[in-house]
Amino acid sequence: MIALTILKILEDGFLAAIAAIGFSSISNTPRRAYLCCGITAAVGHALRYILMSPDILGMNIIWASTIAAFVIGIVGVLLAPTVKCPAEVCLAPALLPMIPGMYAYRTVAALIGCLSAHGEADFDHYIYLLNYNGLTCLFIIIGMVVAVNIPVFMLKHIAFRATR
Amino acid sequence: MTDQAYICDDSVSCPITATDSVTDSCRDFREKLEFLSEYTAWLWGCGATCIRIDKNLTRMSRAFGIEVDVTVMPRHVELYAHSPQGNAEMPVVIRQASRCGINFTINTLLSRLSWEVADGKLDYDQAVRRFHEIISTPRTAPNEVWLLASMANAAFCRLFGGDLIAIAVVFVSTLAGFKLKQIMAAHKRDARVIFLCCAFVSSMLCAGAHFFHWGTTPEIALGTSVLYLIPGVPYINAVSDLIASRYLCAFSRFVDALVLTACLSVGLCAGMYLLGLRVI
Repeated sequence: MIALTILKILEDGFLAAIAAIGFSSISNTPRRAYLCCGITAAVGHALRYILMSPDILGMNIIWASTIAAFVIGIVGVLLAPTVKCPAEVCLAPALLPMIPGMYAYRTVAALIGCLSAHGEADFDHYIYLLNYNGLTCLFIIIGMVVAVNIPVFMLKHIAFRATR
Repeated sequence: MTDQAYICDDSVSCPITATDSVTDSCRDFREKLEFLSEYTAWLWGCGATCIRIDKNLTRMSRAFGIEVDVTVMPRHVELYAHSPQGNAEMPVVIRQASRCGINFTINTLLSRLSWEVADGKLDYDQAVRRFHEIISTPRTAPNEVWLLASMANAAFCRLFGGDLIAIAVVFVSTLAGFKLKQIMAAHKRDARVIFLCCAFVSSMLCAGAHFFHWGTTPEIALGTSVLYLIPGVPYINAVSDLIASRYLCAFSRFVDALVLTACLSVGLCAGMYLLGLRVI
């Protein structure tokens, strides 16, 4: 059981690292920073998995994402000087794998449902789904982007000297 | 507005009293100011946060013996200079922001340039040469980005619990959508149109898999298909600017990102609507 959980955590981290490296290439990140992005994303996403896992902490996705984003911020700022890149280079790609894609998708799908609903009950159901998924998605994103930026301002002496 | 600096004529712009002995230093002052404005325009264009722009610019301008204040506007930057002689006049240079797109390599190299100047490793002429080398740095090979982005989106699909068929469908749909993005960007199409079209193509391909009941998690494939288009960097930078009290820039970046997100949502909706999918 424990071995399986550890395996799942590692798989989660590994996939997040692949996603982060791929997304970092879109932003023309220096190649030497790829590994840094991958490690930061893996740590953050694996942490979120642990926090959210019902067998471990079972935390709400909004709080789990916020905490994981804060840790991503700290790891990114601390790793940035090792590759002589600004901290943002590691932070943005590492955060992307935590984007609540399915909530966003369900929000859009609910919107389509509203537009093509037949009757009040049908419409109310889709409005409920639209609000639930939309609000969850919104607060996850707000929590993530605020939390990931806090370490940059907390550790200014590291974050803005990384390229020296 | 063309991509050039607007500076007042000599008698107004140069804060150094116009005597024969200071003609060279006046020209020098103007050149440095124009260089600093170009540097700022590129930093802003490549996706640096306002606090980074401020720190880099202050660091470099002090090394040149100039005190500058900068106002970063949505489409241009304005530099206000104080002369070392403390003249009351403040020459202003306005320059249009570079349209190079998010580019962390240029961001990194420009930040390093500011430190090299501040640490006295480069003089003004060397810094200008280095700057022109930096802005000519080629982007990562398009095929490499194409493949890595598709793999990233496929990994994303797995993270959301997609099965092997969903992963394969997302990989192929991202290949198609991202290639379209590269082609349209090369033809200098509007970013909003690009996002809309790419989201439509990717979602149509994944909606096809859903329509023909391929695999057990087609809705995850559909939901993941457009995530490679999410403008994550502008959202993060907007919050950074917000924390740094740069509300105008924060709002500008946020609205830019919001418009792009809306465009990709419309593309996704259109793809789903066209195939008559009601997946929740």
